[in-house]
Amino acid sequence: MAPNSRKRKVVTRESPSDSDSGEDLANGLLEGILSHSEDESDDSQDASSGEGSGADIWSEGEELESDEGHEDVLDDDADIREQIRSLKTTDEPPRKKTSQMPHEDALVLDKNGELEDRPGDEELKRNYTVATDANGNERYIYEEIEPVYDSDDSDAPETTNTIGNIPLSYYDAYPHIGYDINGRKIMRPAKGEALDALLDSIDIPKGWTGLTDPATGKPLELSEEELDVLKKITRNEIPEEGYDPYPDMVYYFSGREEIMPLSAAPEPKRRFVPSKHEAKRVMKIVKAIREGRIQPYKPPSEEQEEEQETFSYDIWQDEVPRPEHSMHIPPPKLPPPGFDQSYHPPPEYIPDKDEKAAWHEADEEDREKEYLPTNYEALRKVPGYERFVKEKFERCLDLYLAPRVRRNKLNIDPESLLPKLPSPEELKPFPTTCAAIFRGHEGRVRSVSVDPTGTYLASGGDDGYARIWEVGNGRQVWNVKLSNDEPVDTVRWRPGKDASILAAAAGEHIYLVVPFAILSPDMEQSSRDVLDAGWGYAASKPSTETNGVTKEPPSRWTRPGDSMEKKGVLVQITVRKEVKVIHWHRRGEYFATVSPTGQSSAVAIHALSKHLTQLPFRRLKGLPQSAQFHPSKPIFFVATRNSIRSYDLAKQELVKSLQPGAKWISSFDVHPGGDNLIVGTYDKRLLWHDLDLSTKPYKTLRYHQEAIRAVAFHQGGLPLFADASDDGSLQIFHGKVVGDLMENATIVPLKVLKGHQVKSRLGVMDVDWHPREPWCVSAGADGTCRLWN
Amino acid sequence: MALALPDDVKVQIRLSTRHSDIALPEDPGALLVPTSLRRIALSSLVNNLLHNEKPIPFEFLVNGQFLRTSIEDFLTQNGISAEATLNVEYTRALIPPVHTTSFEHDDWVSSVDVLSLSSPAGVWSNTVVQSGQERILSASYDGLLRVWNLSGDVLATSSPPNNGGRITSLKTSRWLNEKKIVAAGLDSVVRVYKYDDDTRTITPSLELYQHKWPVEDIAVHGPSNKILAASADGTVGLFSGTAKDAPAAPANLLPNSTAASNKRQKLSKPDRTVPARGALTTLSGHTQGVSATIFKPDDATVAYSASKDHTLKTWDLTTSSVVDTRTTAQSLLSLAALSKVNLLATGTSARHITLVDPRASATQIAVMTLRGHTNGVVSLDTDPSSDYGLASGSHDGTVRIWDVRSVRAGVGSEGQIGESIYTIQRDSAGGKHIPSHGEGYKVFSVKWDREVGIVTASEDKRVQINRSQ
Repeated sequence: MAPNSRKRKVVTRESPSDSDSGEDLANGLLEGILSHSEDESDDSQDASSGEGSGADIWSEGEELESDEGHEDVLDDDADIREQIRSLKTTDEPPRKKTSQMPHEDALVLDKNGELEDRPGDEELKRNYTVATDANGNERYIYEEIEPVYDSDDSDAPETTNTIGNIPLSYYDAYPHIGYDINGRKIMRPAKGEALDALLDSIDIPKGWTGLTDPATGKPLELSEEELDVLKKITRNEIPEEGYDPYPDMVYYFSGREEIMPLSAAPEPKRRFVPSKHEAKRVMKIVKAIREGRIQPYKPPSEEQEEEQETFSYDIWQDEVPRPEHSMHIPPPKLPPPGFDQSYHPPPEYIPDKDEKAAWHEADEEDREKEYLPTNYEALRKVPGYERFVKEKFERCLDLYLAPRVRRNKLNIDPESLLPKLPSPEELKPFPTTCAAIFRGHEGRVRSVSVDPTGTYLASGGDDGYARIWEVGNGRQVWNVKLSNDEPVDTVRWRPGKDASILAAAAGEHIYLVVPFAILSPDMEQSSRDVLDAGWGYAASKPSTETNGVTKEPPSRWTRPGDSMEKKGVLVQITVRKEVKVIHWHRRGEYFATVSPTGQSSAVAIHALSKHLTQLPFRRLKGLPQSAQFHPSKPIFFVATRNSIRSYDLAKQELVKSLQPGAKWISSFDVHPGGDNLIVGTYDKRLLWHDLDLSTKPYKTLRYHQEAIRAVAFHQGGLPLFADASDDGSLQIFHGKVVGDLMENATIVPLKVLKGHQVKSRLGVMDVDWHPREPWCVSAGADGTCRLWN
Repeated sequence: MALALPDDVKVQIRLSTRHSDIALPEDPGALLVPTSLRRIALSSLVNNLLHNEKPIPFEFLVNGQFLRTSIEDFLTQNGISAEATLNVEYTRALIPPVHTTSFEHDDWVSSVDVLSLSSPAGVWSNTVVQSGQERILSASYDGLLRVWNLSGDVLATSSPPNNGGRITSLKTSRWLNEKKIVAAGLDSVVRVYKYDDDTRTITPSLELYQHKWPVEDIAVHGPSNKILAASADGTVGLFSGTAKDAPAAPANLLPNSTAASNKRQKLSKPDRTVPARGALTTLSGHTQGVSATIFKPDDATVAYSASKDHTLKTWDLTTSSVVDTRTTAQSLLSLAALSKVNLLATGTSARHITLVDPRASATQIAVMTLRGHTNGVVSLDTDPSSDYGLASGSHDGTVRIWDVRSVRAGVGSEGQIGESIYTIQRDSAGGKHIPSHGEGYKVFSVKWDREVGIVTASEDKRVQINRSQ
């Protein structure tokens, strides 16, 4: 309501200034019409914008102004003016409507004077601009009404009063009470006959007041809220809603000492300077005492004290035996004292050590006896009753009938609260013992991988060698030295049984190896064909050149040299930074590498058939730790230090960002089903994520004493997963995922496999599963790999 | 004299045996013997009943257990009343095999076989192998075959094959007869060698190509000159030991088939060409590597194979089709046939030996489970002098001797459970305890021969011979 009334004010202010400036009438008239029409529109806007209580207030205003409409023209009573000012909403428009002439309007305003003083008139902006038309006259160009929500009021509720601001008394003599906008008579609302009135008075409608609305002539009805307001006014209460006459006290001065003082004012002098006034008064008292006018304290006399002594009652003091009667309560009969109550009980009544301990252990209310039979040699050696005060207090509580707190003991076996997990015996088979040791590496073994047929095991270690072993018996069948100074960080067999290719990374070199010494000729040929297919492509590849500057390619695919090729190392890929992780795509066509220090080139995807390296991420947030392909969908997972993101490679967008809540992720593995993954962290936790559930871990397993280095799911259909930790142990878990979405994964810890020695705080570096059997292979910092079955 | 001393408590026993040669001439009925008797006393009792001049040591089986204590202790341990009549089965005592000699090698010994009078190869030989002329064949990871005499001298050593720079390590070797040796290994080629005992040479005579992955085990049948080879590629190849019977070798598997390997082979000296042949038939049906195969002892047209895909298959070689498949719960690593009791013993990666009845009518898969090994059982052989004896070699570094009569009831699908009678440790370990992973002492192959004894090949680079007496 407020902004509309202000607009109106602008107009009224404008018109007198125009007339004052001596423009011609037409203009003034025009202005008046405009302002009027503006008012009209404003009114209607009011009606539309004012909802609920707003409309009520409007009608109230109408009511008031209809009283004052003519009066304020006639007299300039200060009170009325005050009222008008306090109303300040709807006073002007009626005035203008009653006075047709703008000059008169101006006069009125001049007479009223104060109206001009209203604040905020100037700031309101005009809604028109003044231009000159073809005749040289001023022309008001109004701004286009923007068709926004509030601009149209066609769906506004109908105004109740359509006859204008004309008192009903004008039409007392007529059957109608005014005219509608089409000039038709508006008939006086039918007044009930005597019978109707009687019926009305009997059947009082809700909100009936018995008053007539002077504006419409209809019975005035008050709503509940209005009645409430009226009620409050009659009670001398503030009618405002939510006003609380008794708010809670705010304790500004509490016993609590604030850290900051409430006031920064320096301490007043009177706090630390002895008061002269007080000294004077003390001296006065001293003087009085000396003169004997004030007597010092004298203890009260003896008799008075005796009177004040407490008196205890004993209702059975003078008890004499009486016949039994319901109104007579005899003193309770105490059982005669037994042997154990004696100060010197016979030895068989003296409790032994265990009984004493049990007595002390038991709760007070559980004890059978309140006392512990104790042996004293003589009565004089019996000490005072130590529970005297306590017992008195308890008796008092009994007398008061004071309720005591009674502890409710729940006898629940904590085991029964744990969820039922199947016992490990039922979840066989899983690896339980060390079946073979693969010894041969000097220094740590960094990585192990079992080949897709499950026959051979590849390992890479700090001595720069990649070695291949027979899985069953631990025989080393092949090896190659890949690097002189850098460890072989990771070895991974290419999936698929059509070819046998080993990828190994040492430093910033990735080697693709066909260990032909252990392959049959046709297998060797098919493996070579897979690797050699890309050489031609790499040669014909156009150099990536932008603006004449040759961009350094993300990698170079070269032949590693004769000595290595003789051993079967066929391709050497050199990337920018040390490669720590290799992961093959399931089809064996692509593999991803991660070099954590590589900044923008940290994650690379290599295409085998094209000898091509691509960097999927222009910029990576955080240090990447590991990367994996989804086992069935074109989704790529990248783990940084504390989050794992999955990207859709087809749509090239982020699918999900997992927050394991770990400080430093070491590795992760995706369940063969693709909906779950496990994360191992350097902060000793193993986390199970359900990708369907949330970005937070579904389960956190905290069983290791040291950092977890590697985690692996069994890829061959057994519900097993394992982790490898720096505490020298592996842990095997049962992790069953069911297709039913309603059922969560079952995770049961099965077995701790110990055997690896911890060397310079490093234990087990890597773990891999046999492709089919429940066997796992681990790489240890002690230079051995172990097969567990 | 009414007071009977506790020593005089007597129990009724009924003696019986499964061996006809030592059966009692007339059934003595129930005998009343004092419970204080031990095995030796019972043994002399049986010898008396048999009227033997030279006493034979006997073992006594009571309720499937060998009697190792006095009868009284046995009764109290098993809660049997002394009133009941005990059924006592006696059998020739198995004397604990003791270490006699070891033959040292340069590398791990993967396989061993014996040529003797009673060994299969000796039986198939044209000439009779004289006592003292027994030969022991060993195959090693260094790719060489060696033939030893019993005094530990190497009579002959093969030369490493020229296979194009590929690994030559041997996994298995067999005497085909006294002049022929079959061996195969990681280079997946089955080679037939000629052994000449006079000139003491081993010369390759035939190379058989069929397999794409290492050959794990071979079985030979002398009269028909047939060879079965079990390979890690999931097939069992049936080969002929003579070149003229065999078809041509598949071209893509020859070492000179590819450019790279051909070059390598040319670079290494091609001194002499050995005829290359292919397989007669290939038995495919296993989904994983086949780890062991044998001919049916009394019928060379039937073969059995055990695979890492947990199955044991029966093959009809004339039609080269699968007759029966028995699925177990573990990877199977070794196979031996107990023909008398119609059982197949198969060693598993789950550290036990399962006895399987291969007959189609059998309803139970695992008739008996022999437990005791602490690692995978990779080699099995039967007792030549008994139909119930079994020797098993395991990666835990021990060889165990079993008697399938010594059983107790097991639970679930395991059938009955047996325990080993004797355990042979590696002599090179010097009596110290070998952990279950058996590192350095894994046993790869075991052969039990009547003349020579129990011959084992092991990771400790030795062939060890243990013999009773």
